[in-house]
Amino acid sequence: MRGTLTQFGWKTSLQVILSVILARLRLRSRYKGWLLLGLIIPIVMSAIIIFLGRALGGPRAAENFFLNTGTSNYVAYIILGSNVFMIVSRALWDFGFWLRREQETGTLESLYLAPTSMMLILTGVAIYNALHSIVNFFITFALGCFLFRVNPLQGNIPIALLFLSLGLVPLYGVSLLYGAMVFKLKEAHALIRMAQWVASFLMGICYPISVFPPFLRAVALLFPPTWMSNGVRASLLGVGFFFGTWYRDLAVLSAFCVIMPLVGYSVFLATERRIKRNEGVGMF
Amino acid sequence: MIQKLKLSSLALGSMVKKELIIMTRYPVNFLVSFVTSFIMVSMYIFVTLMFAPQRSEGSLAGVGGVGMFGFFLSTFFSSTLWEMASGIRWEQYQGTLECLYLTPASKFSSLVSKVIPNFIWTGFNSLAMLLFAQALFGRLPFHNLGVAAYIFTMTIAGIFGFGFAFAAFTLLVKESAILTANFLQFSLYILCAMFFPFSALPTFLLRISRLIPLSYCIDAFRSTLMGYPPGFPELLPIEQELIIITAFGTVMPLLGYLLYKAAERKVRIEGSLGEF
Amino acid sequence: MEPIIKIRDLRKTYFSKERKGIFRAKKMAIEALKGINLDIYPGEIFGLLGPNGAGKTTLIKCLTTLLLPTGGTAWVNGYQLEKDEEMIRASVGCMLMGERGLYWKLTGRENLDFFGSLYHIPPHLKRRRIDALIEILGLEDIVDRTVETYSSGQKMKLVFAKALINDAPILFLDEPTITLDVPSAHELRAIVKDLNRRGKTILYTTHQMTEAEELCHRVAIIDKGEIIALGTVEELKATINREGVIKIEGVIPSEAYEAVRLLSGVKEAALTKEKDLAKLIVVGSEPRTLLPSLIRTLFENGATIEYISPAEVTLEDVFVAKTGRTLDIDTRIK
Repeated sequence: MRGTLTQFGWKTSLQVILSVILARLRLRSRYKGWLLLGLIIPIVMSAIIIFLGRALGGPRAAENFFLNTGTSNYVAYIILGSNVFMIVSRALWDFGFWLRREQETGTLESLYLAPTSMMLILTGVAIYNALHSIVNFFITFALGCFLFRVNPLQGNIPIALLFLSLGLVPLYGVSLLYGAMVFKLKEAHALIRMAQWVASFLMGICYPISVFPPFLRAVALLFPPTWMSNGVRASLLGVGFFFGTWYRDLAVLSAFCVIMPLVGYSVFLATERRIKRNEGVGMF
Repeated sequence: MIQKLKLSSLALGSMVKKELIIMTRYPVNFLVSFVTSFIMVSMYIFVTLMFAPQRSEGSLAGVGGVGMFGFFLSTFFSSTLWEMASGIRWEQYQGTLECLYLTPASKFSSLVSKVIPNFIWTGFNSLAMLLFAQALFGRLPFHNLGVAAYIFTMTIAGIFGFGFAFAAFTLLVKESAILTANFLQFSLYILCAMFFPFSALPTFLLRISRLIPLSYCIDAFRSTLMGYPPGFPELLPIEQELIIITAFGTVMPLLGYLLYKAAERKVRIEGSLGEF
Repeated sequence: MEPIIKIRDLRKTYFSKERKGIFRAKKMAIEALKGINLDIYPGEIFGLLGPNGAGKTTLIKCLTTLLLPTGGTAWVNGYQLEKDEEMIRASVGCMLMGERGLYWKLTGRENLDFFGSLYHIPPHLKRRRIDALIEILGLEDIVDRTVETYSSGQKMKLVFAKALINDAPILFLDEPTITLDVPSAHELRAIVKDLNRRGKTILYTTHQMTEAEELCHRVAIIDKGEIIALGTVEELKATINREGVIKIEGVIPSEAYEAVRLLSGVKEAALTKEKDLAKLIVVGSEPRTLLPSLIRTLFENGATIEYISPAEVTLEDVFVAKTGRTLDIDTRIK
């Protein structure tokens, strides 16, 4: 562009995405305690449920669990559920809440002043988050299996990985939808906390959604992380896919991959426009 | 002296009013508390169904008592910890902590004023949670209400004291306080067996649990309300637990207060009160 | 010459809530900009002067696409608002939110690198530009430390560097010297003049009239969302040259002030109080004839005078003449 150093093009657009990833990596690396906490939380969550389950079921805990879920390996079931939930939670906090945090610290206006589409910035944030989540997942899953003495390498690992990685795409769509709400309503912490609880409930961290009444089951099935969580557990523990086979469940998840980001981004754009029309993006 | 007390009470009243007004400006927070209570109770039931479905055929009340009463106390602990950590942290970040110190009002009152509205709200919330649990589990046991009330009072006093100690910590370490609060909260969920019986803990963890006064509070509180079923209390006989709880409830507030005053003095000497 | 910034009937209304109790609130509409018309030409330093709440920042935020106007439109570097937003942002460098707007856990260099990428600057150009900015602004000693360790003045310098990162032809500087000490403010103004000499068009907002007088080729005075005066500094001062300005400092009760306002020959009067002393600015015709009656009126109404002078006209006097207030008074809606 004449008169400035700005040069629009696919290379500089890619540079935007990579810079966002690098900036987030740098920022996160300067909060080492939080990195450690991210590893501990899913293990603590799993431990609470496992200890409770053992206390409730006694010697018949595994047997009872098998009757309700199709697997007696309740430890792996719960560890997997907790870890997938952490991915969802991280998406809500680091992606959905990201806008609000930028607003609170004053950097959001700086981002909006740049001649860069918010889509590119959001893509960078999502990719960083996805990488961080997957790495964290593997570490905490391995750690949890080690602490509770279960074999982490069981079942169909490639299919599980497919569900895990594909499940991230609609997850960010949901997070963006939520982020738009947070952007508008401003009570970010409360909204994200509620979303976390609702997500943990609908996904079934430690139970299958077959225990829900029909209406609630239908709602859970409209929530993409439910498919992600069940897909990973079904692949590794043989608990059964919703539609019987992995490729049918994957097809549904793929449909979510298309719909949710579109819906999320459209709502986000509309909210952004409305906010700019009134108080502006800097107001927090 | 009386005049001073009167003025201090007025100042405390104003601060509590300020905190309550701020709370009403967050209606979503209001709603979220109720929703999360409902979800927690529901999840507890589902876990029970997964592991012990035969218990659900009769009353779930005994099973629910361990988790629900433990959860009831844990909410007070969590809310105090968070109010001390995030409340002071937020004042540091906004820059209003120094402004508070410029007023002649007692800083201790300021701390207490943060916790009181939260306690009121947590109380309502926890009661709502118990009502949900009653509706879903069946009738929860409510024995020995007098003793339970005493245990509750001593526990709250001890938690208050712990909160002041944590406030001292927050003044000193600033940014690390929130992180530490997280670690502490999650650790104590396990070590104090807030949601499950102590018998579920591995032996090495149980040894650590026995060193934490809050463990005895949780154990005594739910055992008392459940009417001391076989095996409860789990850690020590109830008489011994009551002694520990009484000591916790009387010593901890004083210790917390002294630690807070010491930390306050330290940051004022260093000049780091306005830093965040 | 075609203006580089063209503003036509730009309007902006905010909607806000006024608390009526713990749970009740009343919706309020606040007109921050009431139809601004303005042309800014290439190569000029254009000053926007006005008190707090006048609409300066709102105007800049509309021009930089942070806010969508309620009505009217504008063109920045030939690109129209709401149609070519990315091109507008690529054409401008902004210093808007003071020392906020930086990532405190990143170093100065990392911040510049990040924002340089967001401005779609190719890597080799970006590196060179960052090094040049570090040298120009004297950031060598601090640029590799995290921003949280900087003083206020250092943060402002880094924010200024960020505004210059893409070497845009237009700069929007919103009160850039507000937290700087005197030498740093002087240094920044020197850089602004140098940038202008190299052809940059600069929109500079301030409520310090000395800055506007020192830097700006033309000045617009904005008050309550409207432009009340526009021209070069000399032209604006000339509008009240036919009148005189008398400045009085002392203890001036409000009855004395009201009495002065009613005096024949007084066009406008504005009173500001600083601690125990008050400053009264009187704009009127024939100051030499007015002076005796002015002094008598003040004494009769209980005032004591510490200092009195007929003064050289300043931009603040122009503001007083137009509005009856000084620039110190906050006009934000409470």
